[in-house]
Amino acid sequence: MRVTLSDIYKSFGAVEVVKGLDLEIEDGEFLVLLGPSGCGKTTALRMVAGLESVSSGRVLIGDRDVTHVLPKYRDVAMVFQSYALYPHMTVAENIAYPLKLRGVPRTERDASVRSAAVKVHLEEFLDRYPRQLSGGQRQRIALARAMVRRPSVFLMDEPLSNLDAKLRGHMRSELKRLQADLGVTTIYVTHDQIEAMTLAHRVAIMNRGVVQQIATPRQIYDDPANLFVAGFIGSPPMNFLQGELVQGAFACAEGRFATSVAESRKKVTAGLRPEDCRVTGASEGKIAARVYAVELMGDHTLITCQFGGATVTVKADKSAHYDMDEPIGITFHDTAVFLFDSETGTRIGGRGRREAAA
Amino acid sequence: MTATDTMPEAAARRSWAEWLDGHSGRIMVLPAVVVLLCFAIFPLIISAYLALSRFALASGGFTLKFIGLLNFRKLLVGSQQYHLLGKFGTFGFVQWALLALIAAALLFLLARYLWRGRPTIAGMVGRLLATATAMALAVLALATMAPGGVPGTVVNTLLYVFVGVSVQFALGLGLALLCGQPIRGRNFFRVLFFIPLMVTPVGIAYTFRMLADMQKGPFAPLVRAFGISEWSWATEAWSARLMVLVGDTWQWTPFMFIVLLAAIENQPRDQVEAARLDGANGFQIFRDITWPAIAPIAATVVLIRLIEAFKIIDLPNVLTGGGPGLATESMTLHSFISWRTQDLGGSAAVGYMLLLISTIVCVSFFNFVVRPARRFEA
Amino acid sequence: MSAEPRSLARRLFEPASIDSQAPVTKIVTYALLFLWALVVVIPLYWVLITSFKGPGEVDNGPFYLPFVDFAPSLQAWDFMLVQNYTLRPYMNSVVVALASTLLAVLIGSLAAYALVRIRFQVKLAAVAIFLILLTAIIVAVATFGVRWEIAIAVAAALFIIALFTLVGRTKLAVGNNDIEFWMISNRIMPPIVAVLPIYVMFQQMRLLDTQVALIATYTAINLPIVVWLTRDFFAGIPLDLEESAQLDGASKFRVFFTIALPLVRSGLVATFLLVLILAWNEYLLALFLSNADAQTMPVLVSAQNTTRGPQWWNMSVLITVMIAPVIVISSILQKHIARGLLVGAVKG
Ligand SMILES: Nc1ncnc2c1ncn2[C@@H]1O[C@H](COP(=O)(O)OP(=O)(O)OP(=O)(O)O)[C@@H](O)[C@H]1O
Ligand SMILES: [Mg+2]
Repeated sequence: MRVTLSDIYKSFGAVEVVKGLDLEIEDGEFLVLLGPSGCGKTTALRMVAGLESVSSGRVLIGDRDVTHVLPKYRDVAMVFQSYALYPHMTVAENIAYPLKLRGVPRTERDASVRSAAVKVHLEEFLDRYPRQLSGGQRQRIALARAMVRRPSVFLMDEPLSNLDAKLRGHMRSELKRLQADLGVTTIYVTHDQIEAMTLAHRVAIMNRGVVQQIATPRQIYDDPANLFVAGFIGSPPMNFLQGELVQGAFACAEGRFATSVAESRKKVTAGLRPEDCRVTGASEGKIAARVYAVELMGDHTLITCQFGGATVTVKADKSAHYDMDEPIGITFHDTAVFLFDSETGTRIGGRGRREAAA
Repeated sequence: MTATDTMPEAAARRSWAEWLDGHSGRIMVLPAVVVLLCFAIFPLIISAYLALSRFALASGGFTLKFIGLLNFRKLLVGSQQYHLLGKFGTFGFVQWALLALIAAALLFLLARYLWRGRPTIAGMVGRLLATATAMALAVLALATMAPGGVPGTVVNTLLYVFVGVSVQFALGLGLALLCGQPIRGRNFFRVLFFIPLMVTPVGIAYTFRMLADMQKGPFAPLVRAFGISEWSWATEAWSARLMVLVGDTWQWTPFMFIVLLAAIENQPRDQVEAARLDGANGFQIFRDITWPAIAPIAATVVLIRLIEAFKIIDLPNVLTGGGPGLATESMTLHSFISWRTQDLGGSAAVGYMLLLISTIVCVSFFNFVVRPARRFEA
Repeated sequence: MSAEPRSLARRLFEPASIDSQAPVTKIVTYALLFLWALVVVIPLYWVLITSFKGPGEVDNGPFYLPFVDFAPSLQAWDFMLVQNYTLRPYMNSVVVALASTLLAVLIGSLAAYALVRIRFQVKLAAVAIFLILLTAIIVAVATFGVRWEIAIAVAAALFIIALFTLVGRTKLAVGNNDIEFWMISNRIMPPIVAVLPIYVMFQQMRLLDTQVALIATYTAINLPIVVWLTRDFFAGIPLDLEESAQLDGASKFRVFFTIALPLVRSGLVATFLLVLILAWNEYLLALFLSNADAQTMPVLVSAQNTTRGPQWWNMSVLITVMIAPVIVISSILQKHIARGLLVGAVKG
């Protein structure tokens, strides 16, 4: 079922938390709402669920305007950040509760509960109480409870946030598979970019109640719309240098290098992804710098270089070896340089990147 | 080598401090234990002795004579039976039916314990004791309230306790649910509803006497409009008891209300929201989510009220003086009146009977209601 | 904005949006709340206006509105407060309630804290011997006329000897939970059972009809409540806070007063208020233990039933001055009370 949010505003008292949210989620799509803590993701999700009223704007599920419809008539299922399991009901009773409320006959209910439990690998825990289970298991019950009744929309609020790294990775792939099998439109809230990149068909990045960019994970990475998105996506984060653009070359206090944008402009921020840079001999690079720190990460090495007053991190091969304070050069492709207006944060001359990668 | 080695004074001070710290646990508990020994255990033993003695004023003092269980015999089967237990009426069909119902319920609970739980000897003994007490009190209540019967102070007290606490709980829960909704002015209602709890019971008694005055009270014109002018609530047993219950309910409903409201406001919001998304309506949310969440607290406030309700004296004493006849006299008032008539043994014996009943009821309630209600707590 | 059409029933019984209420629910809610508000207010209102009436207005009554259907006068207030010297029982009540509450909260929270944090083991045999000796003293004094000083001295000696010889050989012991349960269960005891011996005790000590007697007794009867409520507050404090203070060199007493007590402030306020209200309104014990000098307000109020019947106007003045301060204090601190009781009640 399609979900449409148009021009949604939400304020709590005088504080405006969501400002002009516009989202269109296709039938069967997996959309991830990504953003830093407190940016209004949960609030947006709760407005889709109907747990929070909207201050202005409209919410549509399918072709139905549900802006003023009570939660129970919206046919959505939600996985809460805190699971919201009913502590006095067993796992089976928890999962069965939505069906019970709908008057599904007992035998049918039991069968659905069992198959939902099998999907999340919890069939042997059906008679336990939530407090007797681990965080990851509780998480999966919450998922099963949402799945069991085949809603038209799934809403998930950081459902994997309380799991350990290994289980999180596992649940991530399970979740993706489940969603693909069920084909239910899903809105998924997280502040973890890996989750967003791996799960989403499309990612919507939010900051301070405003959506910054909606695009596929690849586009978000390759073609960030603004400074915020560029800095938020990527690990280690993008390097930023302040300077100005002089006839297609970026100039700052420490040096200058060519870019793919032929413009002149003051107050420009240049962004370089660590994985797009390479370390070269001292005289060969586009930038001359000194090694500040070397961190071995296992499959790669992070080299932090000092470049005048700025630092630039370079992702290098795992066998790279440099001494501290060793003079080096850093080189990169002209098209690997992202340019942003320092004041507004908007991208200067975007969409040139795809060809460069080729 | 430390500097203190050469300073005996400091060493002494330090070892004194160390001793204090080492024994701090006992020192902290000691005052409480001493106070409770002096004002609870010691008096209880003396009272037990009094209950087994005859007290008489003699020239220049008094004499105490040990007479065994005679005081209790007097109360249960002797001259005071009418006062304590009341007069038994004749069992009709209704009484037998009710008794059968109660017996069946108690037996069902016992049987369920035997089949379902893992019975232990202590658990069985406790349950048998509770069942026997409940049965005895039920028989007593039914018999004295049957046609021709007159309830004594035991039944009056039970009435205040069970009817009073149930009504207060129901009202308190209802008000808390109303006030727990997101409505305007809930803080106003919360503060207002809390007030009666703080009014001294003696004051409440007089206030309700004023209000219920058939000639000069605020409702007098209303009552007169119905053509009742000569009747007075104080002259009839049930209307007098009702008055006491009304006063007690007015005072104690706020207690239930305030705690239950806090419990309702404190319940996990996300569980309610999840249920709402799952499609539950208001009643289903109450039954499936709110009630289980507040049940442990509900059980505990009822226990607190049970404990206090058994001690009721100020309200009946001032409101009706225990009358008409014995109709509103509670056991504490009974004991007090015996004391006033110099029957110290009898007074202590009544006190002990009250202690016995209230202990069995409260401990049973704790074990069989409060504890199970708490089993889902993390 | 095209909202979905809703049936009439839904429109009446279901809210239009998530943060409003259904019309029917709203009307019923307010109707019931106002009804109960009336139930609460009418008695209080009647007491208040009656205190401004005189015999004439009461006896020819009922009159409902001051200035409209009767002329309020301060006669009763003048009579009760100025001519009749009500100040003394009032001060008695204030002193007794405040002092006993302070003591009960202090002693009770100390004990509760120790029981939560420090492990106790008391030999059952010691408890049994103690109780037997206590009973023996009472029997000896009451039936055989032994002087009580001698009886106590002998018993104390016997107890100490037993403590060093017999008790060490036994195993059975009572722990923290048992002690706690014992302390709390003292509240079940109806005061009427204990009041006679307490009366005799104070008579022997020549403390009858003094504030001291009332303070001591009230402290004792309210102690179980304090232990009951505060132990859960203390149990809720993270242990590492106290442990780190101990590592820094603070003694247990210091930890209690500087770390534990401040952390449970809100709960203590609730406990304090509840106990204060109980002590302020207490009637039965005051009736036994005070006469003229230490008489408290509840006793004074109840004594108003003169031969000519109660004088409602005077009585109303007394009731008003009794409830006014408690209402003011509690309304201010009302939030604490609910929260404090909740914590106590949840874990009990
Ligand atoms: N009921 C409320 N009343 C007032 N302010 C609120 C309320 N709920 C949320 N807020 C505020 O709205 C902002 C957004 O909150 P929201 O819960 O949507 O953040 P979030 O993006 O989900 O963050 P997180 O990743 O930490 O969960 C926050 O600044 C929060 O303080
Ligand atoms: Mg959130």
